[in-house]
Amino acid sequence: MALRPVVVTGLGIICAIGRDPAEFWLRLSTGSGGLTELRDEAYAVFEARHAGRVPDAWISEQTPSADADLDRTARLALVAARQAIRQAGGVTASPARFGVILGKCQATPGPAGRYQPMHRTGDVVAERLGLGGPRILVSTACAAGGNAVGLAKDKILTGEADAVLAGGVDPLLFGTYAGFAGLQALSTGPCRPYSHSDGLNLGEGAAFLLLEPLDLALARGATPLAEVAGYGLSADAYHATAPDPTGRGGAAAMRRALTDAGLSPDDVHYVSGHGTGTPANDAMEAKVMRLVFGERAGQVPTSSIKSFLGHTLGAAGAVEAVAAVLALRHGMAPPTIGFDPGADTGSGTGSGTGSGSGSDTGSGGAPGLDFVPNVARPMAMETVVSNNYAFGGNNVSLVLTRPGGPRAYEDLPPREAVITGLGPVTGAGTGIAEVSAAITAGRRGAGRTPSLDGRTYAPRSLWRHMNQLSRMAIAASRLAWEDAGLKLPRKALDDVGLIFATGAGSAESTGGFDESIALNPSKPAVLSFSNVVLNATGGAVCQTLGLRGPTTTICNGGASASIALDCALEVIRTGKAEVVLVVAADERPGESPGDLPVSYVPGSAAVAFVVESADHCAGRGGGAYARVLGTSHAAHHVTGDAGTVARSLAGLPEAAAGVVAGVVVCAADGLPEDREEAAAVLETLAGGTLTSSAALMGDCQAATGAMNIALGALAVRDGIVPTLTGPARPGAGRGPGDEPAPSATGPVERAVALTAAPGSVAGAVLLGAV
Amino acid sequence: MVNVLAATHPEGTVHGEVGDTTVPLRFSDSPEALSEEYKALRERAAALDLGGHGLIEITGPDAIAFAQRVLARDVEYLTSDRCMMSLVLDAGGSIVDQVIAFGREDGILLESSCGAGTRLLEHLRAENDEGVEITDRADLTLIGLEGPYAWGVVGRLIDGELASLPFESVAEAVWDGVDIVFARTGFTGEYGYQMIVPRQEAARLWELCLEHARPSGQEALELAMLEVRQPMPRHEASPGASVIEIGANWLVDITKETFVGREAVLEAFESGTGRATIGFTCVTGVPTPGTRLMAGEQVIGEVVHAVHSVGLGATLGLARVDRDLAAAGLDLSVGGVGATTLTSPYIVPKSWSVPII
Repeated sequence: MALRPVVVTGLGIICAIGRDPAEFWLRLSTGSGGLTELRDEAYAVFEARHAGRVPDAWISEQTPSADADLDRTARLALVAARQAIRQAGGVTASPARFGVILGKCQATPGPAGRYQPMHRTGDVVAERLGLGGPRILVSTACAAGGNAVGLAKDKILTGEADAVLAGGVDPLLFGTYAGFAGLQALSTGPCRPYSHSDGLNLGEGAAFLLLEPLDLALARGATPLAEVAGYGLSADAYHATAPDPTGRGGAAAMRRALTDAGLSPDDVHYVSGHGTGTPANDAMEAKVMRLVFGERAGQVPTSSIKSFLGHTLGAAGAVEAVAAVLALRHGMAPPTIGFDPGADTGSGTGSGTGSGSGSDTGSGGAPGLDFVPNVARPMAMETVVSNNYAFGGNNVSLVLTRPGGPRAYEDLPPREAVITGLGPVTGAGTGIAEVSAAITAGRRGAGRTPSLDGRTYAPRSLWRHMNQLSRMAIAASRLAWEDAGLKLPRKALDDVGLIFATGAGSAESTGGFDESIALNPSKPAVLSFSNVVLNATGGAVCQTLGLRGPTTTICNGGASASIALDCALEVIRTGKAEVVLVVAADERPGESPGDLPVSYVPGSAAVAFVVESADHCAGRGGGAYARVLGTSHAAHHVTGDAGTVARSLAGLPEAAAGVVAGVVVCAADGLPEDREEAAAVLETLAGGTLTSSAALMGDCQAATGAMNIALGALAVRDGIVPTLTGPARPGAGRGPGDEPAPSATGPVERAVALTAAPGSVAGAVLLGAV
Repeated sequence: MVNVLAATHPEGTVHGEVGDTTVPLRFSDSPEALSEEYKALRERAAALDLGGHGLIEITGPDAIAFAQRVLARDVEYLTSDRCMMSLVLDAGGSIVDQVIAFGREDGILLESSCGAGTRLLEHLRAENDEGVEITDRADLTLIGLEGPYAWGVVGRLIDGELASLPFESVAEAVWDGVDIVFARTGFTGEYGYQMIVPRQEAARLWELCLEHARPSGQEALELAMLEVRQPMPRHEASPGASVIEIGANWLVDITKETFVGREAVLEAFESGTGRATIGFTCVTGVPTPGTRLMAGEQVIGEVVHAVHSVGLGATLGLARVDRDLAAAGLDLSVGGVGATTLTSPYIVPKSWSVPII
C-alpha cells in the first residue's frame, strides 16, 4: 500500500513577474518576461546589469504595518507565506503541528543592515504566522527551495506535522551579484537558457507551497492543487561550482524522485528545468534529459522560467514548484522565452559533425530536445518534474502530480537506526580516541583550534584549495567513517547520504569575500565566493569521500545537528539510504556580538557521526555506539506555556513514562539561556548525570550539537562522560553545577543529548544501548 | 612479450621493438601511413593498440601505503572511480617509469608506459618492503580510443554516458557482454579513453573498434603526444636527468612527506641550477638526439628527441638547454640549421573546441 498522499493546497509567490500566483501565471502563460536593467548606481561597475527585481511597491502593498520594520528578506517571505495560507483557507492544523521549512541561499542582512543568523527569516515567518511545528532552514544554495518542499513532505509522512509551509526566499544582494559577475556567469542581456546559454541573470523573490496530508485537506473541504508525489536528492561529488558534466548527479536526483513517487520516466509529461542559462548548466541538463528519458527525451517538453525572472537562488526551487503546480492546474507548459530557434546550439551545447547526431541542430539548443520555445503550450499533463542544481553539487528533483482522490494509505513504517561511528575534530582532540582520552584525563579544549596535523584526510590536490571549515569537516567525516569500520565498494557509496549542519558556514570565506567586494566589487575573491554558499562544505565532503547519495544542508544555528539527524533518520526510514553521514561544522565568528559573559567561549570545530540502519549495520557485522530511540524539536515562543527546552524533552519517545537517562548532555555553553535548560532538565530528567561539551570545545554552534549527540553515544557504549566544570556549569541554583560529574560512569542504558538555537529551536535526542 | 592483437593487424603492419614489447608502429607500409593515422587521431577518432602497456596490480593490507611510497604523486585517497598519471622514481631521482595509477577496491592497478612493464615490475618487487602482493596482470590488456570524436565512438560502442566522464574518471562497464574497466584519460590532448579488457576478448573488441575508428600506431601516437608536450620517458629520460630538467615535475608531488626519490627531486629543485627542456622547430631535417644546439657560437644544449610533425608540417623536437635559455621564440641553430624555440602545446588539439553532446 502507498504512503499517505501529501498535497499542495495553497500557493504564494512574489517575484519579478508577479506579486501573487495569478499575476505570475498570467505573465508565464503569455510569455511576458520581467528581466530589466538595474538602474542603481552601485551596479554600474558591472557590464551585465539585467536582473529580475521585485518592485518595492509590490512588497509594501502586501505588508501589514506591523511588519513594516522587518528586513526586506523577511517581508518578501511573509508576503508569499500569507498568500499560501490564504489560498489554502482554514487550515485546521494546530499551531504546534504547523511547520515551516524555508530554503535560503544567502546570509541576509537584518533591519539594521548586519548579517543575521541564517535561520532568522524562518523564525520571523513562524513567529508572525504563529507556526510552532517543525522549523527548518535548508540551505542547499540554488536547490534549497525545492529541497524544502521535499523535507516538508517527510515531516508530514513521519507524523510530526499536519501542515507545513515550504518555500524559499532570497533577495538580490550586491555582494552576490558581484560574485556571479566575477565568475563571468552573468549574461549581459536577458538570459536565454538552452539556446544562447551565455550566462544567467540574478533575480529575487519568495515562494511558498502549503503542504497537507490529502485526507486532512479533503476533510476540511480544501481543494488539493497538486500532489507532492516524490522527491529526490543527490550529490555530484564532482566540483564546488561546476555541475558534473556527465549529468549523473542530476539524473540520479530525478530517478530517485520518480522511484519515490512510484512512477517511471514514461509517466513524465513536462519537466520544469533549472535552466539558468550558463553553458555548463544547460549542457549538463540536456544530458540529464537524455539519460533519464532516453529515446523519449525529445518528446518531454522542458522549459526554464528563469528566462522570465532570473535566478532567485534559494527561492528558485520553490518559485519553480509553484509554476509547476500552476502548469498542472492549467494544463499548460510555460515557455522558455528569449529562445533562439536558429541558435548555433549555444556556446555550451555544441554540435558534433562527427557524432552522427549533430546534423539536427535547426531547433536551437541541444539537438532533439523540446524547450517549449517562446510560446506557452497547452497540453494534457498528469506528472511534472521540477529540477534544481546547485553550487556544491547538490541536486533536487520534485515530482508533482494532479491530485488523486481520497485513498487508503499506510503509515511510514518505523526503522531502527544506530550510530556507528564518531568523528570529533575539536579543541580537545581529533578523533574519538583522542577525545575519549582527553575526557578521561580531564583535559579541556574550549577555544582551542582543532589540530589537523599528523595525517592527511583528502587528496593533497583538493586539500590545498580548501578553507578551514571544509578541512575540519572532511577530517571529521573521514574519522567518523573509519571509526564506523565501513568498507563500502564504490558503487555503494553512490547511495550513502550526507547531511551537513552549520550555523553560519565558513567565516573565513565569507569574510574574505566581503572584504574583496568592499575593496573592489569588480575584483571579487571568486574562490571564496564559491565557498560562501552554506552547503559548500557539505559538497566538499561529498567530493572528497565520493558520496553521491541524498544530501542536504541544515542551517538552524546550534540546533542544526539534531535537525540534520532527523533528516538522516527520515532518509533511512523512507528507504532512500542505508548509511548517512551527518557532519556539523562551525567557526568562531570574526566578530562577536558583544556583551557576552566571560563564561562563554566561542570556538571552531567539526563533528561527524555515521547513522546507519540497524539492519545494514548487522548485515555487515558492524558494531554500534547506540540506538537512536527518538528525536524531538520544539520551536521558540509560539505555542504552549512550557519553555522551549521542556517542550522538546516532552516530545521524546519515553517522555510520558518519564525518561530515565543515565547521562544528559546539555547544550549549555555559558550563556544566560543555560538556566532555562537546566531547570527543564532537572524537572524532566532528574537523576541522570549532567554534562556538556562546552569545556571540551566551547560553543561551536552546529558542531556543539553534534558533539552532544556524539558524547551521548559515547556514554551509552563506553561510559565515558566529561566532567562538568567551568563555563558550562548551568546556574539553576542547585544540582548539576555543584558537583563535578565523574568522567567514567560505566555504560548507561539511556542518554539524552540536547541542542539549542536560542530564540529559535531546541532539540533533544534520546539514545539507547544497543 | 607477444602483442595480443598482433595476429589481427593487417598485412603490411610495421612492427617495432619498444622496450620489452613489440608494437605496431604503423598499420600499413604505405608512405602515407603515418600521416593518415595521425590525421585520424587529430581529426576524427583513432583506435590504439595499447597492448605494450603492462598492467601490474598491487594488493594486500599495505597496498596503498606501498603505492604511496613508490609513486611520486599522492594516491592515498585514489578511489576506484579515479585514475591519475604519476612518475615512479628510483632513489636517485631518475625516472623508472611514468604510470597511470587506477584506484581499485582492494588496492591499486598500475599501467606502465609502452614497453616498460618488465622494468616497472622488477622495480616494484625490489622496493617491496611492505610485503604487498604484486601481480603481473598479463591476463588483461588495454585498448584505447582517442581523437576529437572519440566520445562518439564510445557512445556507439559502449555507453554514451561514459563518454562525458570527467578527465581521469574510471567506471566499471560492460562492453558487448564483457566486464571492463573504462577510463577517461588521453595522451594527446584529444578526448581519450582506455578500456582494460580481458586478454582473450581483446581481439574481438578491437575488431568492434575498427568499425568506427581507424587504428593508429605508436609513431602517430607518440608524435601527437610530443605535440602537446606529453612526457615520454623512453625518449626523454636520459641518464642522470632530473625530473625538473625533463619538465615532468607536474608528475611529482613534493608536498607528500615521503616517497622514493623525493630527496633527489628536492635537491634538484632547491639547487635551482641545471637545464630545462624546451620545444623547437628547425628549418630542415630531423636532428638526432645529442645534436648540439647553438646560440651563435655558443653551445647551449642538445637535442633530446625530434621527429617530423605532420601537424606542423615541420620538424618538432625537444632540446635540453641552459635553464636561463629555456624560453620560446629564440633563434638558434641545430646541426648548422636554423632553429626556433617554441611554446607548448605546439599544436592546439581540435578536442578543445569540440564539445561532447
